[in-house]
Amino acid sequence: MATRKRAAKTGPRDFQLRPADLKGILSLALARGGDFADIFLEYRTSLSILMEEDIIKESSESVSLGLGLRVICKDRTGYAYTNELSEEKLRLVALTASAIASARSSRKLPLRFRNLKLDKDVARARLVATSRPLQEKIELVERAYRSALNYAPAIKKVQVAYGESLQHIKILNSEGLFVEDKRPMVKLVVMALAEKNGRHESGFCGGGGRVGLEYFNRKLRPETIGQEAASEACILLEAADPPAGEMPVVLSPGHSGVLIHEAVGHLLEADFIRKKTSVLWNKLGKRVGSEQLNIYDDPTRPGFRGSYNIDDEGNLPQKTLLVEKGVVRGFLQDLLSARLMKKETTGHGRRQDFSCWPLPRMANTYIDRGEYDPAEIIRSVRKGFYVSRLSGGQVEDSGQFTFSVTLGYLIEDGRLGRPVRQATLIGTNLDILQKVEMVGSDLEFGWQTGTCSKEGQDVPVADGCPTLKITGMTVGGLR
Amino acid sequence: MKAVSHDLRKLAEKLVQYGKKHGADEMEVTLYEGREFNVDVRLGRVENLVEADSRYCVFRLFKDKKVASASSSDLSLPTLQDLVRQALQRARLTHPDEFAGLPAPARFKVTEDSLKLYDPEVAAMKPQEKIKMALTTERIALQDRRITNSFGASFVTNELRTILLNSSGFCGEYLQTYCSLSLGLQAGQDDRLVEDYWFSSKRHLRDLASPEEVARTAVERTVRQLNPRKIKTQDVPVIFEPTMTSWLLAFLFSCVSGTAVYQQTTFLAGRLGEKIGNDLVTVVDDGLLPGRLGSRPFDSEGVPTQRTVVIEKGLLKNYLCNTYASRKLNLPATGNGDGRGVVPNNFYLEPGAVTADEIIKSTRKGFLLTRVIGHGLNPVTGDISRGACGLWIEDGRPVFPVAEVTIAGNLGQVLQNIELVGNDIRFESPVCGPTIRVGEMTVAGK
Repeated sequence: MATRKRAAKTGPRDFQLRPADLKGILSLALARGGDFADIFLEYRTSLSILMEEDIIKESSESVSLGLGLRVICKDRTGYAYTNELSEEKLRLVALTASAIASARSSRKLPLRFRNLKLDKDVARARLVATSRPLQEKIELVERAYRSALNYAPAIKKVQVAYGESLQHIKILNSEGLFVEDKRPMVKLVVMALAEKNGRHESGFCGGGGRVGLEYFNRKLRPETIGQEAASEACILLEAADPPAGEMPVVLSPGHSGVLIHEAVGHLLEADFIRKKTSVLWNKLGKRVGSEQLNIYDDPTRPGFRGSYNIDDEGNLPQKTLLVEKGVVRGFLQDLLSARLMKKETTGHGRRQDFSCWPLPRMANTYIDRGEYDPAEIIRSVRKGFYVSRLSGGQVEDSGQFTFSVTLGYLIEDGRLGRPVRQATLIGTNLDILQKVEMVGSDLEFGWQTGTCSKEGQDVPVADGCPTLKITGMTVGGLR
Repeated sequence: MKAVSHDLRKLAEKLVQYGKKHGADEMEVTLYEGREFNVDVRLGRVENLVEADSRYCVFRLFKDKKVASASSSDLSLPTLQDLVRQALQRARLTHPDEFAGLPAPARFKVTEDSLKLYDPEVAAMKPQEKIKMALTTERIALQDRRITNSFGASFVTNELRTILLNSSGFCGEYLQTYCSLSLGLQAGQDDRLVEDYWFSSKRHLRDLASPEEVARTAVERTVRQLNPRKIKTQDVPVIFEPTMTSWLLAFLFSCVSGTAVYQQTTFLAGRLGEKIGNDLVTVVDDGLLPGRLGSRPFDSEGVPTQRTVVIEKGLLKNYLCNTYASRKLNLPATGNGDGRGVVPNNFYLEPGAVTADEIIKSTRKGFLLTRVIGHGLNPVTGDISRGACGLWIEDGRPVFPVAEVTIAGNLGQVLQNIELVGNDIRFESPVCGPTIRVGEMTVAGK
C-alpha cells in the first residue's frame, strides 16, 4: 500500500527537489551572463482505456518525469532537459542551456524565493480521476459504448477511449519566483461507425476538461456522448455531397469556435507579432473585422480544458481582450515576447511538457455573444451552407485559414435542408472577419476535447462562439 | 552513444523477469535512449538552441489473454516495478482477447550496419558546425530581395537507440541517426503575404541537400506564389508535387493499415484482390532499403521488416499488419508494428518514367498543387477536401499562382484516375512518391 500512496499522492523521490536544491543549478545556468533562467519540473501520470468489439481491450499507464531548464539572453533561448534528476545531470543541463550566453559577468540570484500561493483553483474535480478505482472508469466507458451501439441498427462498430492525467509542476526562476501546481484532466471520446447499403460513415463526440469523474454524471453523461456520436454517423448516412464554391455560411454555436481559434487567435500570439510574420502584427488599435466581433481568451474559466492556475512560466493568467468591436486590442503574451516587446505578460506562456520551451498559446478562446436571435440568422439566408460540426482547422501567418466540417446542412429559403458530408472551408482572415454579418446571442463552448498544435507542441485548448453568419466563404465540396 | 547499451539491456531483462515472477504470461519491454540537438536561427542570429539526452521505457504484458501496457520516462527500478504490478492489476479488470499475445519468435538477418541506419558523422558533428549550416542556409535565402521576412532556418540531429526484449526470447537492438535542414520564408508587402518552406532530411549527413539547394528551393517556392488569384470553381486535372503525393500516400497508408481494416474504419476493408487503382499504381512498403528514413531491422514487436507490395498495378495485394491485426484478419504480419497500431516503414509509390517537367508540359489546362492547409481526410469514406495553393497551368506552363481554393475528391477515384507518374521520388520522408497527375478533381474557388 505504501508504494501506491507514493505514486498517487506525492510523486517519486526525485520530484521532491526544493528551491534550495535547485538554486545552485539556476545560478550555474546564469554563470555565463544570461538575463533570465527558469526551471520547469514536471511529474505527470496518465491512464488510457480503450473499448472496441464489445471488450475492454487495453489499458495503458504512463509516467513522465523530467526537468527543463531555459536560459534567456536577449532574444536567444538556450534549452536543455533531462529525465534523470541527479545532481550531475542537472549541472550538465545548466551548462548546456547557458551555452547561448557568452558574457563574463554573472547575474546574482535573489537571496530568497517567494513562494507564490494559489488561492483559487480552476479545476473542478471533486472525484479526481487518478485517485479513483479503475472499475469506475471502465463503467463510464461501457455506458458510453452501449448507448452508442444501441442507438440504431445501422451502428455497426463503436470505439470508446477514456484518458486521464494529473500533471504536477514546479516552476522556479531567477527573479525569485517559486510556484507549484497540480492539474487534473479527463476525456471520454466515442467514435461510432454506421453502415447502410454498403455505405459507411463515422460520427464522433467527446467531453471532459479539468474536472473530476462526477462531471460525467452531473454535466455530461456518457450516454449522451455515445448517442451524439451515433446520431452523427446515422445522419451522415443520408447526407449528400457538399456543394463547392463561394456562398453564405452560417456557423453553429460552440464547435465553430475553431474559426476564431484559427482566424484570429494564432495570429495574435505575440511571437508572430514581434517577428512581424503575422498579418496582424501592425494592427493593434486598428479595425480588422465587423463591429459585432468581441473576442477574448480566458484561461480562468472553471473546469475548462484550456484553463490553468498559472501558466507554464509561473505567471498568473488573465482573461485577455483580443478584439473589441472589430478592433485589435491585445496580444497573447508569454514571458519572452513580453520582455522583448516591453509589455506585460498575459499569462499565455505554455508548453507541452518538460522537454519543450514555452510559447505564447491560446487557452479558451471565444467570440462573445451578440444580439441576433439564432433562428433569425438562419432565416436571413436564402441559399447557403450551415456548419454543424467541425473536426479542426489550420492557419498560416498570411491569414489564410481552413476548417474542416464533418457535418453540414444546406440552407434553402431560410431553413435547414439536407445534411451534407465532409468539406473544408477556406478564407483569409482580414476578408472573412469583415464579412461577419450577424453574431448570435447564443454563446456556447465546444466539446472539451480540443488540442492545439504549434511548432510540434500539443496543448489542450477550448473554444466557443455564438451562431455566426458570414456573407461569403469558399466551401470545398464537389461539383 | 555507440558503445553503452549493456545497462539498458540488463534493465529490460530484469523487468521481464519481474513481470513473469509476478504472474505475467508474456511480456515485452522496449527501451529508447536518445540524444537530440536542435538549433533555430532567424535573421542571422541564433534564436533557440536545444540539447538533451533522454531515455524512455515502454512495456506490454499479457495475463490470461488480457493486455495492459505502460510507459515511463522515469527509469528507476522501483518506479518501473510499480508500473508492472499496476499493469497486472489493470489486466485483471480487462476482458480476455483470444487474439492478444506476442508474435512467435522470428529470426532476422539484417543489422543496423547492413541497413546503414547510423552515421558516425552525424554523431560527431560539432554544435558550431550545425549552427553554421542553419545560418548559411538562411543567409543565402535572404540575399534574394523578393524575400521580405524569415521564419528561420533549423538544423536538427537525433541519435536513437532502440532495445527490444521479450519473454519469448527475442532480443534485438539498433542505433539510428537522423539529420534535417529546413528553412521557412515569407514574401510580399502589406497584407498580401505568402509563405513556404523547404527542407532536407536524411539519416546520413552526406546525403543531405546543401544549404544552397535548400535556400534556393525555399526562395523559389515562396516567390512563385506572389500575387495569387482565386479561380472559378471547376473540375480540372490536378498535378501533385512530390510533397503533395506524400500526404496522399500517408492517407492511403491509413486506409490499408490492418488495424483500420479489422476496425472497418477504412473504405478499403474487405477489398483484398480487387482492382482499386489503375495500372500505373504500384505501392510498396519496404523496411529494408539501406539508408532510408523508414528502414529498421524489426518492428516494435520484433517482427522482421520486409518488402511488402501493397498495390500492384492497381490490384490490392496486402494490408499492413502488426501481430494483432494479422491474427484478426488471418493474414501475415508485415513488420509494421508500432505499439498498439501500425506505422509505415518506407511506404512509397513506384516512380514512373516521365519527368515532372514533361508532366507539366503535357497538361493543357490544370492545377499544379504545391501546398495544402487543413486536414480534411476521412479514411471511412475515402473523402478528400483540403485547402490548397498552387499554380494555374495553361498550355503546358504555369501562368499564375492560385491561393484560397480547396481541392476535393475521393481517394478511391483518385487511384483510378492517376494519368501520369513522374520519376522524381526523393525519399526525404518515410512516406513519399513522385510527381503525379490526377485526371480530375474539384477545385473550389469563387
